[in-house]
Amino acid sequence: MTERTAKWVFWGGTLSSLALFLALTVDTHGQFAALTRADQLDDTVVAGKRAFERHNCNDCHTILGFGGYYAPDLTRAYSRLGADAIRRRLAQPEVAFRDSYRKMPNQNLSREEIASLVAYLEWVAGIDNHDWPPQDSAARWKRSTDRLLAQAALSPAAALVQQEGCLTCHALGDRGERKGPRLEHVGARRSAAWIGDYLEDPQRLAPGSEMPDYQHLSAGQRQMIGEFIVAAAARGGER
Amino acid sequence: MTYQTQRVAYPYMVVALLLFGLQVVLGLWLATQYFVTVPQGVVDVFPFSTARAMHTNLLVLWLLLGFMGATYYLVPEETKSELAFPRLAIGQLVLLTATGVAALVGFLFGWTQGRPLLEIPRPLDLLVVVGALMFLFNVAVTMVRAKRWTAVQGSLLGGLVFLAVLYLFGIPFYRNLAVDWYYWWWVIHLWVEGAFELVAAAMTAFMLIKLTGVERTVVEKWLYVELGLFLFTGIAGTGHHYYWLGAPHYWLWVGGIFSALEPFPILLMVVDTWRDVKHRRGPMEPRLTWVYLIGGVVIHFIGAGLFGMAHTLPQINYYTHGSQVTVSHGHLAFYGAYVLLNLTFFYLAMPHLKGLPGGRYDERSGHFAFWCTALGVMGMSLAFAVAGVLQSYLERYLGQPYMVAQVPIRFWMGMAAAHGVLVLVGVVATIRHLLTLQAPAPASEAATSANPAGTLPSPAGG
Repeated sequence: MTERTAKWVFWGGTLSSLALFLALTVDTHGQFAALTRADQLDDTVVAGKRAFERHNCNDCHTILGFGGYYAPDLTRAYSRLGADAIRRRLAQPEVAFRDSYRKMPNQNLSREEIASLVAYLEWVAGIDNHDWPPQDSAARWKRSTDRLLAQAALSPAAALVQQEGCLTCHALGDRGERKGPRLEHVGARRSAAWIGDYLEDPQRLAPGSEMPDYQHLSAGQRQMIGEFIVAAAARGGER
Repeated sequence: MTYQTQRVAYPYMVVALLLFGLQVVLGLWLATQYFVTVPQGVVDVFPFSTARAMHTNLLVLWLLLGFMGATYYLVPEETKSELAFPRLAIGQLVLLTATGVAALVGFLFGWTQGRPLLEIPRPLDLLVVVGALMFLFNVAVTMVRAKRWTAVQGSLLGGLVFLAVLYLFGIPFYRNLAVDWYYWWWVIHLWVEGAFELVAAAMTAFMLIKLTGVERTVVEKWLYVELGLFLFTGIAGTGHHYYWLGAPHYWLWVGGIFSALEPFPILLMVVDTWRDVKHRRGPMEPRLTWVYLIGGVVIHFIGAGLFGMAHTLPQINYYTHGSQVTVSHGHLAFYGAYVLLNLTFFYLAMPHLKGLPGGRYDERSGHFAFWCTALGVMGMSLAFAVAGVLQSYLERYLGQPYMVAQVPIRFWMGMAAAHGVLVLVGVVATIRHLLTLQAPAPASEAATSANPAGTLPSPAGG
């Protein structure tokens, strides 16, 4: 190879790659608005982003998969935990993670900061990013939960979940609301007995939670709901 | 050393080495937090996030100071002239070090921009820009005045300008998170797989010419080809970071294809180095400098080329993105590509800067330091890799909640920390060795210590 050819390789390689990259950058900018629902990016959401940066959240947590790897990814935190559970974690991490072997610092957030952070995470959860991360893929949860519900629809526990209106706050499959944590997520983290205890008096195990108590149910009924939720824990490998 | 002004490189290298030591100490503390429960009281005051900001910013700061020191050593020899403003170079070191220290102390008190790797607050960013401009001005004026241009210089100056320009994209506040990450990668990716590669290739070419004595025209010809391939795969290869951030689907194709080609320029660099070493004139002395040079090229290929390739395709990256797999790749790639490059250059330049005859030095404790660090980093990266594969399977594939999936990973993070101790020992020994370089011991003494059988070593300098 002559030096002349070598120089051609350098300029040809560099400029062709650069041209492609810049052209795609322009096109990508045209698509960001739709992919990220930029119309919902209001001042509260931006205030949440500023609070997120001010408290350096991103050097423990990842978001869209980028950041520190020390704490859970927050891309779909809103669809997984819901507003109330996020608020409790932010306001009193030392209580929320009392039993965890990894702690979250209490950053003395103001009420406004917490509200804006919840709005921010809600907006982030709506970004269309090709269904990443896999563990929070709504389509995957729906498939696995549908299968479970098809078998369990006639069970007394399923009837109790319906009758007590759990899904007016919690999500299950593609049904329910996002006020509390998704039931599949609860089921994966907790035992049936723990859930039974929790239903009896949520404040004892999660002080400050907005969850109502279910003391009007019998201990046996609460245990059955716990078993149902544990059985609904997210099933993997079914993409 | 031929030119008086090359001396300004020495304080750059000393500061870089000290910051390197601090970086490793913080790294060990970070790894520890993965398998030990740190009490809430400590976490509230000195959280993981603060330590991580310090660990990563120290890395960037010391690597850049190392590159700058290397540039100040290299440019006079390449241009065959004295540096234009040696005092300005010292002023620049003081400014950048002070800015760096202010940033590190600021992190402790929560003063941060809050974006990973770009935590330096915006007012301090301006000081970094001033420092960069001082640097580019000094180097450019020296080159223009000398009117002597080489491909090594061109690659170096091009890389440094590219590096400074890209830094600007990391400064603004972006309202949209997806757009934020899009340009964040212009700094991070295009630095390490663009601008840094230009600087590294220039430094490597310079060292190969110095160490092997192979003709400049041969080295520079392959430098063009390497750089062409690096930039061809590296620029569009930025797409492998755009898979899951809310960008259009075509990035999965562009990122996947271009980054699948990324190992080739590194492989070419291995082959080039191998060929130059084979055609060298003279013995491979000092041995340790060669160990660093070849070790760097090989681990660069393993860490950046192979470990990068292992999770760069979108089908795999869907499960491994943002897991400990990334951590594994990041550590081995940075160590192989840039840490060893800087250390090799220090071993080439510091003996001359200290005025040791012929650039020879007593190598003995340096070999231990090299192997201790290298094996430590390799072991650590393997432990991170096992943790990352476990995490990808348990959390991403099976769908376990994050903290549930972290439990079986604790053991492997402990293994990473254990190797981190090895790294710390090796790095402290390396720093000590480099800062106290001495002329080689007399031949008879060296023979008895290195060769108990008593055979005579071949005369040095052959």
